[in-house]
Amino acid sequence: MKNRKKGWFIFWMLLPVFSVIGFLSIYPTIKGIILAFQNYTVFTFNRIKFIGWDNFEEIIMDPDFLPIVWNTVVWIVVSVFFQLILGLGLALLLRKPFKGRGVYSGLVFYPWALSGFAIGLLWSWLLNGQFGIVNDILIKMNLIQEGIQFLSEPNMAMFSVLLVNIWYGIPFFAIMSLAALQSIPETVYEAAEIDGANAWNKLFKITLPYIRPTIVSTVLVRSIWIMNFPDVIYGMTRGGPAKSTEILSTHMINIIYYENDYSKASAVGVIITVFLLLYTVLYLKFSGSKEVEI
Amino acid sequence: MSRMKKNTFGVLRGLGLAFYLILALFPLVWIFITSIKPPDEIYTFPIKYWPSRISWESYEYLFGFANFGKYFGNSMLVSMSASIISTLIALLSGYVLARTKFRGKTPLIIFLFFVQMIPAYLLMIPQYSMFAHLKLINKLWGIILVYIGLGAAFSTIMARSFFMRIPESLEESALIDGCTRLKALFKVTLPLMLPGVAAIFSFSFVQNWNEIFTAALFLNSDSKMTVPVALYSFVSKAGIQWNVMAAGIVISLIPTIIVFAFAQKYIVAGLTSGSVKE
Repeated sequence: MKNRKKGWFIFWMLLPVFSVIGFLSIYPTIKGIILAFQNYTVFTFNRIKFIGWDNFEEIIMDPDFLPIVWNTVVWIVVSVFFQLILGLGLALLLRKPFKGRGVYSGLVFYPWALSGFAIGLLWSWLLNGQFGIVNDILIKMNLIQEGIQFLSEPNMAMFSVLLVNIWYGIPFFAIMSLAALQSIPETVYEAAEIDGANAWNKLFKITLPYIRPTIVSTVLVRSIWIMNFPDVIYGMTRGGPAKSTEILSTHMINIIYYENDYSKASAVGVIITVFLLLYTVLYLKFSGSKEVEI
Repeated sequence: MSRMKKNTFGVLRGLGLAFYLILALFPLVWIFITSIKPPDEIYTFPIKYWPSRISWESYEYLFGFANFGKYFGNSMLVSMSASIISTLIALLSGYVLARTKFRGKTPLIIFLFFVQMIPAYLLMIPQYSMFAHLKLINKLWGIILVYIGLGAAFSTIMARSFFMRIPESLEESALIDGCTRLKALFKVTLPLMLPGVAAIFSFSFVQNWNEIFTAALFLNSDSKMTVPVALYSFVSKAGIQWNVMAAGIVISLIPTIIVFAFAQKYIVAGLTSGSVKE
């Protein structure tokens, strides 16, 4: 009797969240997979039929596809690498308390909360080839003679969007690393000092090994997140010029917005999902599967 | 020797801290300066670092002619409603997942971890076709619903981890005193959960306020646009001056900056202790 009552209590408490997830995440995921094998576009929505692997073929045979995959890999690896290095650097500076640390960390962490799209727009103004302040400063410092076309030159565009994405991601890595740093007991450092360790020793023999697990799991999870983060690119270049900043996620969105081919976009979505699943399985294996971190 | 070393370290540390501070604040300062420049000082060469006079024209244009107040209101309504609802339902399920034992609980939690990884843009086409059937396209309620779904899994995971940090013994003693489980939840645990509630709500609000891709697909009439969609439409509109654009960006960033300023402590706690050990 009591058990049954408890069972219903659990059921009713879980019902809202799981029905929302079922209706808005699981069902659409399944439907998205089905759509990928159909011909749903703005013009055919009355005459939807199955067309097999046609959409996938079209995507993969596209000469732009491999460059897009390559761009995605570059986007993830370069972003994560520099976000980590710079975020960790900031966290190390913040480890020991100082006057005003709370306010200071608010002032350097705030980009975490900003809209990626708005940040992209903002930086596209700063990096403007003609009236951008970044060019202006570089010229005044005599580093360059004339303005760099940060966003309109295909060779520069990827560099520019990466720069902004790195800027945007520093706070997240700093927050995560700082929490890990603060979990290192002070006594470990004291013991090392007695043994005559210098700052360098302490960093490489204590600090970094100690926070390694956090770093590894943060990097792995953040990579997925960055892959699925088209916002900054969309604010700056929308994947252009000449697809030089196109990654899988912007590719999918561009197909939706500009080609209105919803089935083809769904097929790109399926490709992304397969990649995500593989990655997640590997990640769970790699990180010991018992520990799942966000 | 040692003291000199310490001083060098202090100086280096100060320089490092200054570097990060300038890096973080400089873009925001510059976009604000751009937004208060008179229109004829935006496109000048060499660049004017400081406007000859402070001009609010861009903001007047934004809220007057460009109707930005309407978009701001839409965004506020959508983000607030979705965040409040998803926080509430996440508290219910997070509580159960933290406090009770039942068969299938661990798979359910792992399932949530998978679901929270699905990004919004992957779901927007199927959702679009579903919502077209339900006549929810171009309705603010439609986008509110999408956002509730977007945050549900992650909010639940976070709620669970915050509940797990509150000692269960407090609740048990309330139960012994004759409270029902629900009453114990509301009277004893929930007040201790306030930091958790703040974290879940802030996360959800930031995510909803910043979401652009689904909103741009779903909300296609001018009177329904949210702030990011409006900014997006500025980009394609010829003749939008950069001082107006800058003002739009500044306005769009303010709400999440305020949320972050007030809830930083809780957000950091939410970010870092979202980890779950089974």
